[in-house]
Amino acid sequence: MTFARRTFLRGLGASIALPSLVSLRPVTAANAARPLAITKTGAPLRTAFVYFPNGAIPAAWWPEGDEQSFQFGQTLAPLQSFRDDIQILKGLEHKSAEGGPDGGGDHARGNGTFLTGVRLKKSATDLHAGTSIDQVLAKRVGDQTRFASLELTCDAIRQSGECDSGYACAYQFNLAWSSPTTPVAPEASPRLVFERLFGEGNPGERWSNMQMRRQQQRSILDFVMEDARDMNRRLSVNDQLKLDQYLSGLRDLELRLDRAEKFGEVQDPGVATPTMTPLSYADHVDLMFEMLALAFQTDSTRISTLMLAHDGSNRSFSDIGVVEGHHDLSHHQNKEDRVAKVAEIDLWYTRRLANFLKRMKETEDVDGNSLLDNSMIVYGSGNADGNRHTHSDLPVVLAGGGGGTLRPGRYVKNTMGPMTNLYLGLAQRLGVEDLTSFGDSNDVLNSI
Amino acid sequence: MLPANLLLRSCVLFLGIFYVADSLRLISQVDAAESDRIVRAESQFASEIKPLLQARCYDCHANGSHEGGVSLDEIDTEHLLSDQKLWARMLRMVRADMMPPDGESLNREEKLLLAGFVKRDILDLSPDSLDPGSVTIRRLNRSEYRNTIRDLLNFDFKVEENFPVDDSGHGFDNIANVQTLSPILLEKYIAAASTIVDQVVPKIRWIEPQTIIAGKSFTVNEGSAKASDDSLRMSYYDTARASAVHLIDISGNYRLAIQLSLGEQYVDNVFDYNKCEFTCLLDGEIISKEEFSRENDKKRQIEFDRWLEAGEHKIEVLVKPTTSEDKVRDLRLEVRRVQITGPFGDEYLVHPKGYEVVFAESIPESPDEQRAYMRRLLEPFASRAFRRPVDSAYLDRLVEFAIANSLQPNANFESGYAAGLVAILSSPRFLFLEEQPSEVVLEANHSAAPEQEIKALDDYALASRLSYFLWSSMPDDQLIRLASEGKLRSNLVPQVDRMLKDWRSDAFNKNFVGQWLRSRDIETANVNASATLARDAEPDPDAERARDRFRELRRKNPDELSAEEKTEMDAMRAKFLNGFRRFREFELDYSLRNAMRQETEMMFDYVIDENRSLLELIDADYTFLNERLARHYNIDGVQGREMRRVELAEDSPRGGILTQGTFLIVTSNPDRTSPVKRGLFVLENLLGTPPPPPPPNIPSLEDSLDGRDPKSLSLRETLEIHRQDAACAGCHNRMDPLGLGLENFNALGMWREKERSDVIQPEGTLITGESFATVQQLKSILKEDRREQFFSTVSEKMLTYALGRGLEPYDIETVDRIVERLEQANGASKELIYAIVESAPFGYTRTDAPDS
Repeated sequence: MTFARRTFLRGLGASIALPSLVSLRPVTAANAARPLAITKTGAPLRTAFVYFPNGAIPAAWWPEGDEQSFQFGQTLAPLQSFRDDIQILKGLEHKSAEGGPDGGGDHARGNGTFLTGVRLKKSATDLHAGTSIDQVLAKRVGDQTRFASLELTCDAIRQSGECDSGYACAYQFNLAWSSPTTPVAPEASPRLVFERLFGEGNPGERWSNMQMRRQQQRSILDFVMEDARDMNRRLSVNDQLKLDQYLSGLRDLELRLDRAEKFGEVQDPGVATPTMTPLSYADHVDLMFEMLALAFQTDSTRISTLMLAHDGSNRSFSDIGVVEGHHDLSHHQNKEDRVAKVAEIDLWYTRRLANFLKRMKETEDVDGNSLLDNSMIVYGSGNADGNRHTHSDLPVVLAGGGGGTLRPGRYVKNTMGPMTNLYLGLAQRLGVEDLTSFGDSNDVLNSI
Repeated sequence: MLPANLLLRSCVLFLGIFYVADSLRLISQVDAAESDRIVRAESQFASEIKPLLQARCYDCHANGSHEGGVSLDEIDTEHLLSDQKLWARMLRMVRADMMPPDGESLNREEKLLLAGFVKRDILDLSPDSLDPGSVTIRRLNRSEYRNTIRDLLNFDFKVEENFPVDDSGHGFDNIANVQTLSPILLEKYIAAASTIVDQVVPKIRWIEPQTIIAGKSFTVNEGSAKASDDSLRMSYYDTARASAVHLIDISGNYRLAIQLSLGEQYVDNVFDYNKCEFTCLLDGEIISKEEFSRENDKKRQIEFDRWLEAGEHKIEVLVKPTTSEDKVRDLRLEVRRVQITGPFGDEYLVHPKGYEVVFAESIPESPDEQRAYMRRLLEPFASRAFRRPVDSAYLDRLVEFAIANSLQPNANFESGYAAGLVAILSSPRFLFLEEQPSEVVLEANHSAAPEQEIKALDDYALASRLSYFLWSSMPDDQLIRLASEGKLRSNLVPQVDRMLKDWRSDAFNKNFVGQWLRSRDIETANVNASATLARDAEPDPDAERARDRFRELRRKNPDELSAEEKTEMDAMRAKFLNGFRRFREFELDYSLRNAMRQETEMMFDYVIDENRSLLELIDADYTFLNERLARHYNIDGVQGREMRRVELAEDSPRGGILTQGTFLIVTSNPDRTSPVKRGLFVLENLLGTPPPPPPPNIPSLEDSLDGRDPKSLSLRETLEIHRQDAACAGCHNRMDPLGLGLENFNALGMWREKERSDVIQPEGTLITGESFATVQQLKSILKEDRREQFFSTVSEKMLTYALGRGLEPYDIETVDRIVERLEQANGASKELIYAIVESAPFGYTRTDAPDS
């Protein structure tokens, strides 16, 4: 662990005042009708989708045994201490990620389908996926918090050149889509995430900096809005579609400024802002998980996505003695040593997840339960067996108690069905009950 | 190149091609022309093309065989003739001799016949009627934003730390269609505008004079203090004394502020309880005396006011330890600087640094004059930022906005101007490259094509296209001046020459070459030197066992390791570390990566500067090296860190991008080469014939192994087995020979004769039929036999980058004409750039006709 990160992580948690009970907050029109993203005990209910790349070695991933009494396999062993907080979900698939008429491109599809559940348009330039589940939920419950959603990634660098098999790179590097044609670019810098949540500058200065920043934004909003409308009149239909992103961005900003006013002062975590570039990948992942925990702890948002690495990632893990690239290894051709190495990488990722779950479990929420109790964390990949590019029996862990609505502590063997059914199950628990279909769903997953 | 006026005429001619298949329009001239074309195409197809396809293509692409998903007999003629993309692909494969495969390619006449049919009859293109297409409005990408801010405001804004990575398409990150602008990015643009303007516009008019005594200008008089670049560093544990002398010019009241930072070296779980006493003296008088314990990286400022007479004054600092506890955290006290403010008094006030650069005139008193001055300031700035003269309606609004801001509480003229600048830098006119067609409406035959017309871009749009193509930045004054005089279009070539000589054209190299040849990626490519070099050595079972054992231990929960296991791990770590040291000089550290990137960039630069043949990119008898890189390549006689041109020995395999570290490394896996990726790179980026993506359900290797042990196979053998499967052969026959031919270069780009115990056999036969035995021969095949494909591919890549859009079937003729020019000039590199900036899509656009 590096010095900077340690100083940063130290002192967090305890120093942060708890957000007030949601039930004690003023009732707004938005939450008067039906409490959304709130637990029975009045605490916020958070949902996160965490993506890991290239699937997992099935034999090492899946536990042995039945629903209640099961033995963890090698890959998920670090989750043993959270046995009663997680469920391992078998039998979920993304049919739309399979090749079919579109041929190669399973990494782009595994990634782009993961939260959208639709068949991606195979094109290098003409993007078309679907609105992702986190964004659908954010549109419904997002007005309860300062940020409707938070998009994070640990992929800070991209290669030049073409991406997977004729698919636009956007499919592979974004999990969240606010519309079928608009990916939501995730933030890779822990510093920028932190500043977005709490403001820029040193502890104590952040709130006033944030207010100043908002004032500046507010002051130019009307001016540039007119500017953009003026420009719009000069453009062709095609160009207008592009400029429309600018215009809707302005409207979005306006809404966020209004919302920020409504929620009032942001509490300052009282620690130094994390450094710009984490030194190692492990540090980066840990810091991003910490940002996620902070955002949940301070009830800054209740919906988030975190991409640990894009599908197809060819990172090597020399800190655990695996020098080959992850993607290259994942096509292991069933060679024993390569299979073992991939399983070690899978294990590496699980260890990072375990750190995060520990942090979530040790943090007390407003209702006296743990943050983990009041969360629903989906940890999974859009490829099942990376060697063969399958998309059935996806490796998925659902962590958290869902505010008492989930039944963790089990190995749940579902009959094979769409992953999107799980998303409907989560939506129900957030109070978004009228969401009855999403992507290729055909039922609500009730076994969770 | 077609002279502009001829092109204009041809554009008019060409308007006939727009064909709306499903339109219910009454039969008009255009329909008549269109149906003529179809009749002509059908008859041409029946009489000449179909027999050709039957004879040469049907074996694999008809009667139930549809290799690569292409079937040429199943669909009816009408459908076949309307599938422009299929014909374009067919033409590309045939011209490249990829189809028919294995040296059975069509002869020159047959190729010309097919090309003529596809271009004239299918796409309705001819040299006289080019379709320029249109480019969707493009947003500045990260590097363009950074460069533009640099040229506009002389300020370096760190885009990498503030904006997300741009999405790329067609291999480049400036493609309008894949760019998106999310709400968060817009917020970042607005925040960036404020940050930048805060840095460049002084908002305070008058300040007290300030001088700084840097920590490093202290003289150490006693003890072990150290004056370094940014501070005077003193230790808690040693007595030390240092002083600085400062000359005061005017007697008066001053404020002195001594800035300290109290640091430590963090050590887990131990604390350092030592303290020290810090004393500060001014001319021998004690100003401040304070005791510090461990202060956790705190900053402190000691301030005091004094009347100072003109003359020299001495500031002294003194540290004395007051404890003798264990020294475990290296506690230190640093004097960052001493800031002297004054003399106080209105008569001594000065403008802040850089103020006059922004506000050359003094701010007038009367509101009218202020408004006029604001206008004089904002107009040129907005025009430069928007890359064309700003209209008066906008300017009126902008000036009102700035003045209104200047009248806010706590605001002034300066902050009002700053607000205006923020509005400009947040404007879509700044963030997007808005192009306007020239006001000269070309004669368009509206009855022929009521929905669209062809127009020349106006000169300002052309100036931006040029500057973002060659500089990745805004046009400079000269380009804008030529545009305003309407002289740019007739001066393209001299302007290109001028721009290429300018240092800003480094951006062209970094962004175009960086992405086309992926030399950018060398900075982050991940190849492990010890793993790679171990592969080039004889197998070492002991080392392998040790590695396996290490990983086995690493898999265990660290808390459950026994003491012996921990010791064992530490021992292995130390041993590995030794191994790493041995390989350190080959490790891809910053200087080696940098040298490799420069090798590729300097080569391209050289070829352009000297107007040499682009073929030298494939094969050359020179390259660019410094001592480190030369050692890596095992080339003697290069000394020093400076990169320079080096003549290669006659038998050297090096020379050309295929033998450079950049290409060889970015196409490798972290521990080994990937002949497949290398082959794919050549097909994609040099020959323009990328194979289709792999099919789903790749058969597993075991199925083809017949019981052989996969571990015993070499890479070449594994690939051979792979190619035995028909589903894989089609594409791997194209990629593998190219990649295997380069196997003598390992994953670090170093030359090798063996992998493990196997002697590397680079020989092979390309899908196009040519055989080679060595890397040198492979390069000369690419350079001589594949010359046309290379010209056409580099033209396509550069045109894509220059336009910011992917190429379409209708661009075939444009590219053919660029290649023709390049051929006539014997591949001279500048000719390519001239041909691109003078091409129809670069200077013209297809637009919606008004009121369509």
